[in-house]
Amino acid sequence: SCSRAKDVTMPAKLPVNFFSTRSPVIDLFRGQLDYADHLRQDSEIALYFFYAPWCGQSVAVREEIERVANRLSDQVLFIAINCWWNQGKCRKQKHFFYFPVIHLYHQSFGPIEYKGPMSAVYIEKFVRRVMTPLLYISSRSKLLDFLSNYEPGVVGYFEFNASPQPPGYLTFFASALHSLKKDYVGAVRFGVVTDKRVAEEISLVRSGSVYLHRHINTSLIYPHDIMNYTAENVCKWALENRELLIRWLRPHGGKSLLLNNELKKGPALLVFIPYNPLAEIQPLLDEITRVALEYHSCNRSQAAEPELQHIGSSDSPASDSSDPDAHMKLAETFLITKYPCCNTVVLPQWHSISRTHNVCELCINQTLGVKPDKVNVPHCNFYEIETALDSFYLQEHTFFQVVSNSIECSNFLSFYSPFSYYTACCRTVERHFLSFISSEKTIFQTPKVAFSSHGKKDNADIQNSVPHIEDRNCFIPDLHISGTNITGLSCRTNKTLNLYLLDSNLFWIYAERLGASRSTHLKEFAAIVDLKEELHYVLDQNQSLTGSSLENFIKNFSVLYSPLQRHLVGGTSGHVPAERVVAEVTSSTFHGVVLSSEKNVVLLYYAQWCGFCASLNHIFIQLARLLPPDHFIVARIDITQNDLPWEFMTDRLPTILFFPRQRKDRSVKFPEDFPVSLPHLLKFILHHSSLSSPEPCTKECLHKETVLQQGHISHLEKEIQKLRLEIRALHQAHDALEAQLSEARREEHRLQQQKHTLEKQHKTLQLHSEQLQATYDQKNRELLEMAEKLQELADASENLLKENTLLRILVASREGKLQSKDESKEALQSEVQTGADDSSVLVSTALTTEENRIDHVDTVATEHSSENRTE
Amino acid sequence: AMALVRSLGSLLCLCALRVPAGPGAAARGPDVASYRERVRAMFYHAYEHYLESAFPYDELRPLTCDGHDTWGSFSLTLIDALDTLLILGNVTEFQRVVTVLQEGVDFDIDVNASVFETNIRVVGGLLSAHLLSKKAGVEVEVGWPCSGPLLRMAEEAARKLLPAFQTPTGMPYGTVNLLHGVNPGETPVTCTAGIGTFIVEFATLSHLTGDPVFEDVARKALKALWKNRSDIGLVGNHIDVVTAKWVAQDAGIGAGVDSYFEYLVKGAILLQDKELMSMFLEYNKAIKNYTKFDDWYLWVQMYKGTVSMPVFQSLEAYWPGLQSLIGDVDNAMRTFLNYYTVWKQFGGLPEFYNIPQGYTVDKREGYPLRPELIESAMYLYRATRDPILLELGRDAVESIEKISKVDCGFATIKDLRDHRLDNRMESFFLAETVKYLYLLFDPDNFIHNDGSDFDVVITPYGECILNAGGYIFNTEAHPIDPAALHCCRKRKEEQWEVEDLMREFYSLQKNKKFPLKQTSDCGEGECAKDPRDASLGGKKRNSKKSSHSLLSCPSQSFNSKLAVLGQVFLDNT
Repeated sequence: SCSRAKDVTMPAKLPVNFFSTRSPVIDLFRGQLDYADHLRQDSEIALYFFYAPWCGQSVAVREEIERVANRLSDQVLFIAINCWWNQGKCRKQKHFFYFPVIHLYHQSFGPIEYKGPMSAVYIEKFVRRVMTPLLYISSRSKLLDFLSNYEPGVVGYFEFNASPQPPGYLTFFASALHSLKKDYVGAVRFGVVTDKRVAEEISLVRSGSVYLHRHINTSLIYPHDIMNYTAENVCKWALENRELLIRWLRPHGGKSLLLNNELKKGPALLVFIPYNPLAEIQPLLDEITRVALEYHSCNRSQAAEPELQHIGSSDSPASDSSDPDAHMKLAETFLITKYPCCNTVVLPQWHSISRTHNVCELCINQTLGVKPDKVNVPHCNFYEIETALDSFYLQEHTFFQVVSNSIECSNFLSFYSPFSYYTACCRTVERHFLSFISSEKTIFQTPKVAFSSHGKKDNADIQNSVPHIEDRNCFIPDLHISGTNITGLSCRTNKTLNLYLLDSNLFWIYAERLGASRSTHLKEFAAIVDLKEELHYVLDQNQSLTGSSLENFIKNFSVLYSPLQRHLVGGTSGHVPAERVVAEVTSSTFHGVVLSSEKNVVLLYYAQWCGFCASLNHIFIQLARLLPPDHFIVARIDITQNDLPWEFMTDRLPTILFFPRQRKDRSVKFPEDFPVSLPHLLKFILHHSSLSSPEPCTKECLHKETVLQQGHISHLEKEIQKLRLEIRALHQAHDALEAQLSEARREEHRLQQQKHTLEKQHKTLQLHSEQLQATYDQKNRELLEMAEKLQELADASENLLKENTLLRILVASREGKLQSKDESKEALQSEVQTGADDSSVLVSTALTTEENRIDHVDTVATEHSSENRTE
Repeated sequence: AMALVRSLGSLLCLCALRVPAGPGAAARGPDVASYRERVRAMFYHAYEHYLESAFPYDELRPLTCDGHDTWGSFSLTLIDALDTLLILGNVTEFQRVVTVLQEGVDFDIDVNASVFETNIRVVGGLLSAHLLSKKAGVEVEVGWPCSGPLLRMAEEAARKLLPAFQTPTGMPYGTVNLLHGVNPGETPVTCTAGIGTFIVEFATLSHLTGDPVFEDVARKALKALWKNRSDIGLVGNHIDVVTAKWVAQDAGIGAGVDSYFEYLVKGAILLQDKELMSMFLEYNKAIKNYTKFDDWYLWVQMYKGTVSMPVFQSLEAYWPGLQSLIGDVDNAMRTFLNYYTVWKQFGGLPEFYNIPQGYTVDKREGYPLRPELIESAMYLYRATRDPILLELGRDAVESIEKISKVDCGFATIKDLRDHRLDNRMESFFLAETVKYLYLLFDPDNFIHNDGSDFDVVITPYGECILNAGGYIFNTEAHPIDPAALHCCRKRKEEQWEVEDLMREFYSLQKNKKFPLKQTSDCGEGECAKDPRDASLGGKKRNSKKSSHSLLSCPSQSFNSKLAVLGQVFLDNT
């Protein structure tokens, strides 16, 4: 049975329903792909959900599919197919590397694989796109709507009056479907116009022409003469030529270089917003895309009118044939008509500890005497304000000591142009006004350079020392943003940003990684990531994410002396208990604990995942328990969770730094060649804490010494306490040993007794053995005797036999003799014969008995010897 | 755990990166708490059926509902599952099993046992149970952790293995008879892992018991392997322990070699040993140079470096976890994502997977519910908190429950192509697979302690800090507390040294006010340092080139912030 059980195997369990029977999804759990294809014939739109019953992702997506099916089952056929069951048709025909796989069919067109996020709203959106790949555009307003979307739009014009199916229409329809194969979120939208007048809006006159709308660059018409008019080509053309002002990033979860490739292109603005693909209106998204459009509008006027308004207001056809002169004209207008514009500038603080800020309203004027109009003052564009700032720096002496509550204004000439001049009206505001300014202190670096001249300024990273542009809404509420000055900024700055959108419903984890607070309910977040510089900036999270806050964020990034602070992602220190043996430092508590405390600090840089760090925990705990807490802090910082300013970063873990009291700038590193052990650490600390400068002994010093000695006493007391415990443990161990010893002694005694009895037993056994030996010998002797007797008997019987033979011979001779006298004495002769016979019988019987006896003795002997062996 | 490997054919093309498997960026990650409970239920389903139907045999046969002896006759599944009980929080059962084992397990038996398996499963299991027994509420004796019944059992078991190390090279035989030592005529061919997988258990034993013999033989074997590496720095699969000739010359990171590399790293961490780490780093370089292609690791000829098998083995999946321990998280994640695609294709990892063909290898289609990929996921989740890793955990729970759960336990998958089951449940299923799964879904488990909690134990040798985290898992997932190694040996000398320093400390601070004395004290401090410096400098001159300590991890790069949900970044070179 043992070997049979080894060979026992069991085939896989039979497949069962994956979806409930009440589900609107038809569940072909035996993988009947042929039946699915049969069912599909009756339905215009079909969705295949290929799953494997053991696959976690299939299980997770099942709900999502069900949700979509519940909404669309009247228009779409939902079929789930178990494509794992190895007896099923599906497994035999398809070879998938992962599950689930979603295929869509629009009548005979397909399969279109869905590769987007596996969430119901996205899937539904995609299914709807497959249902209506082409949007019917019936009117001019609909056309404007269609084209105003930030996603590229392709419009085809087909006249249905002439024939029910105008030439090229089917190809266009197919290309719309085809684009969905490439582009799972349907970023390129396809529309169809049938009205001649509507088509003229975008200068389409011939039926069958296809138009790709672009916001920044000129729009295009499909070149029928260059490329063959096929579905693939139209789709390819649209994808290649579309504008990407702002891109959605949707990592698919598998291994991918998407972010690597995008972020390596240069600094990137990542905007996280909760996105519902099914929502009709997306106000926030519209606002963001407007900023993106502005940012990229390099050739347009400052007060750029969206092109569509332009279309809407004029009847002239725009688009690919649009007049290049128009742009020229606009550009000229931009140069000539300069009206005063103003921006709020926050002046650098004179002392970082100062609680006030100087805020100036800096205006650019063309003509003398024009004062900023408070009602409708446009923002200046980036260039202008930068030039103004340059001049402003030259006038620094006039301003840098402004501490005033009243508004003081002064005019000064432009540095570049003798025709324009600037007005600066400054006042001092309380610091708390500027809530957006991080409250982090920079103690270790005295903010000495606040107003050095432009160009000589190296310490650009000093906090708040650079004038920067702020959303004026913050402190001058009666001024409203009416214009924009980031128009075309992307072409004018050498710090061009790429703009990206991420759905925070799906990818909030990236925002968290960049420091989005976990507490916010609103999942909105923006960050500028510069992979090359290895830093990122974050839009202040107390500010709501709006178009204008984004604009300012971009502007502040683009200016020469960017006021943006590298964002330091810090771990949550909320749930950490305050009293720990080894203090846990975070980005936000670093200054307080390490740099500004009055104690010596031993700081361990670690990461939980690093094996070499975790195995040091016990040494650090011992160290912290040993060092007097009045003078020492033993702390550690998890550097995966907590960014620090560059000068405090380390590239290896673990790293141990010692910050001596009063000389925090003279931190020393525990030498790497030394094994980290308690004595080594103590020696290291001892060595470096002794470096602190000697002070002349005063009363205070004596007092200090008393305190110190008290510390020593308490340390010694602790040691004594420990020793007591140790002694107790030793006593216990001693007792335990004693107990074990006595137990052992008892055991020994018992064993000795046992030995005794065993020896006795042994003796009796030996005795017995001797007795047995004696009996054996005796028996042996008896046996010998018996043998002798037997020999004798044998001899005797031999004699008898001889005698018998003699007798026979005798008888024979007698017979011979008697034969002659036979006739007469016949009766007598027969008598003699019988007597001889009798005697021979007698002899043989005696022999047999003798043999039997020998046999018996043999058995006794063997028995005897075996007994001997057992002994 | 090991298999002899043969070359299969030449490498065709590896560059094809498979279509990203499953656009799994689902909005919500798996529900950690509910999966944790499912893992717990999984454990008890298997454990209770083992006790009911298979105990005291080594393993359960889940299809026939009975037991059999596999690696000896030690009630192996029970020993192996012991610390998993504690990790699941079941102290009462832990305590019961400790008594059962003390009474029932006997190593004086005439059984031929694998030296390797006995060490990792029995010695490792008993050691870790010994070190955790106080936490589990077992009443320990006064000398604990330097003495105790489980420690004595572990020592007894380990002593039974020592005869195997009596070879000319110091490399052990693969099999030993527990009663009679090495059998006459025993084959001298042992796989590499069977030689280099002792340091964690044996060094722990030596530190706890004070008998250096265990650590010494383990080190000697490691050094012998190091000496016999090829010119290009690789080791093969099997070696003759008498003649030191390589018998199987395939070099890779999987079957037959795997835990050798693992123990170099873990030994270096546990013992703060630069020598072991420098060995590993040298190997790591050669492995990267010769076997790594597109984040896969292949098998190559150990002398020439030519590819012998373009195959990924299930056992290789421990590698990313190991990389994360030494801070190579980026590479670890990239390789992990490759391996994960294989899981998605089959619902498990086949013993061999042909990378260019994208399919299983003949006769190697099984999945005995191995833990390695889950193990790596657990380590990587510690480092990155990437939800993808929880998804692997989710997939593992779903797969194992759907495919291999039977009435009597969980059955090995014999063939991943059709999910046919085999009548076996290996003891590592409860020791490793379930444990790592549970730990993946239980971020607050005491095993993940980052040093914020600890226990103070008074031993006759002095005060001792224990359970401060940093547990080193042996290759059978038995955690060893590194702090325990500092409890028993040389304790007193260090304590006195520390006490002297503390005295100097207080007096030094006083002397701060008297600059004359301060200098002399300072000089003394210097003096204390100098000799050590010289000795270290002389010995490790070559390692100084790399300017940083070998026993450290690089801190993570900026882009690691965004390297989640499958995103990988190329080096900035």
